[in-house]
Amino acid sequence: MAAVREGTLTRAIATSVVRLLIGYSFSVVFGVLLGVALARSQKVKSTVGPLILGLSSVPSICWLPLAILWFGLSEWAIQTVIVLGALLPIAVATDGAVRQVPPQLVRAARTMGASGPRLLFSVVIPAAFPGILSGAKLGWTFALRSLMAGELLFVSGGLGQLLETGRDIGDTALVLAIIVTIVALGRASEWLLFGRLDREVGRRWGTADA
Amino acid sequence: MSIFAKAAHSIALGDEDAFSGPSRRRSRPGTSTSLQRVSFSFATEKGARLAIESADLHIEAGEFVCLVGPSGSGKSTILNLIAGLLAPTSGQVLENGKPIDGPGPARAMVFQDAALFPWLTLRDNVEYPLKLAGMSKGERRARGDELLRMVHLYRFADSFPHQLSGGMRQRGAIARALATDPAVLLMDEPFAALDAQTRELLQAEVERIFLETRKTVVFVTHNVREAVRLADRIVLMGTRPGRILRDVTIDLPRPRPLNDERVAWFAADVANEIRTEVDKIAKEEADDAWVAPGDRVRRDPRRNLGGGI
Repeated sequence: MAAVREGTLTRAIATSVVRLLIGYSFSVVFGVLLGVALARSQKVKSTVGPLILGLSSVPSICWLPLAILWFGLSEWAIQTVIVLGALLPIAVATDGAVRQVPPQLVRAARTMGASGPRLLFSVVIPAAFPGILSGAKLGWTFALRSLMAGELLFVSGGLGQLLETGRDIGDTALVLAIIVTIVALGRASEWLLFGRLDREVGRRWGTADA
Repeated sequence: MSIFAKAAHSIALGDEDAFSGPSRRRSRPGTSTSLQRVSFSFATEKGARLAIESADLHIEAGEFVCLVGPSGSGKSTILNLIAGLLAPTSGQVLENGKPIDGPGPARAMVFQDAALFPWLTLRDNVEYPLKLAGMSKGERRARGDELLRMVHLYRFADSFPHQLSGGMRQRGAIARALATDPAVLLMDEPFAALDAQTRELLQAEVERIFLETRKTVVFVTHNVREAVRLADRIVLMGTRPGRILRDVTIDLPRPRPLNDERVAWFAADVANEIRTEVDKIAKEEADDAWVAPGDRVRRDPRRNLGGGI
């Protein structure tokens, strides 16, 4: 309870959430773009495709030593780990989702005069949205895991570090409290964002009873 | 900016009376289209396959042409060539004498499965090509409402495609295709997936729209009666490789009720011609299990109907 009273827990949550949001937003934007490039360009697919599939099987924590070597014990190191953990699964899911867009929709849009980026943003990405959304959800859990792993390892001021502190001082209550907080963070994302998007997809596509 | 986007832009800005103002029936008239010695082949695992062999076809402006033939006769390929979605392997596809070099809003297409965008409401679907053409929000709304009234779907403007029946979706797709006031309307088996009653309703609808707008219509169908009911001319296609067999002019007054005996007579004549082609494919696909029509009883000795009891 001391952690709550002194505001340590609140500060740790704030620090972690801000980190998570920055790294995750970056991962979503670039993960989706990378995924679309993979699906739409044979050149991209055959050059970096196998590499991306391979890299996405590396547990994100394995990137931390490299990140620390490159960026030192800094914010950049943690962000690198988050992005490497979240971006690749999002890209792989987006690739799959874009490939499954009914070709008829794209052809229809082309006969109406859509081409290039316009076609991409007004038809291809919206049509792939349900698949991209499941990739984004996956990305969120990956981002959260990477963040905790990254924070555990050095003085970062986030939840992960507080968890480590709890272990050091033998404070089981603190450790459990942080685990509960992490669960709550996962649920919050569902409640604030993904749940709503899911319902919207269900309403529009008619895939679930809204 | 591609030339199509530019064309769309000029339609939207330069040619305002095509869209706005109360006298909206002054729509863009149809254009003539022709295929000159067009062949089209595509790559398969077993090498190139010829889908269309040296097809010559001229479609007059404001003419309603039905392409009829069995599967694999290249009907849809011809439609895609005219749409500009495919480029001919050899030969030329012309619109008003100029080669077609890509898709554009002057040639609109209606697909068998409607191909409405599932994430947009019916209204937004119909307004989508107008948005591409750079039309302002207010104008889009007015034009969209007009189109939805034309196909009797105004009440469903805010529904998503999954909430509509197959026939309604198809009417929505027709409204969307007509949005940019195209010169040529390409319809790829638009009613094949519908039940018979809905299909008849929509045929009447298409005939009415055709008589009102006088666009050039190229309509692909398996259904000979549908073709005879709708077309000024039926182009019969054969298979292996896809080619044009015969050109039949249907010189009957419009509107044509389906139970008109002349419609039935024409349909029987055309159907007879197609049957030989259908048989040819059926034999190839089904091997010896195929029994020619006319002989409706299966004479398979292995089909023992209880003789050994």
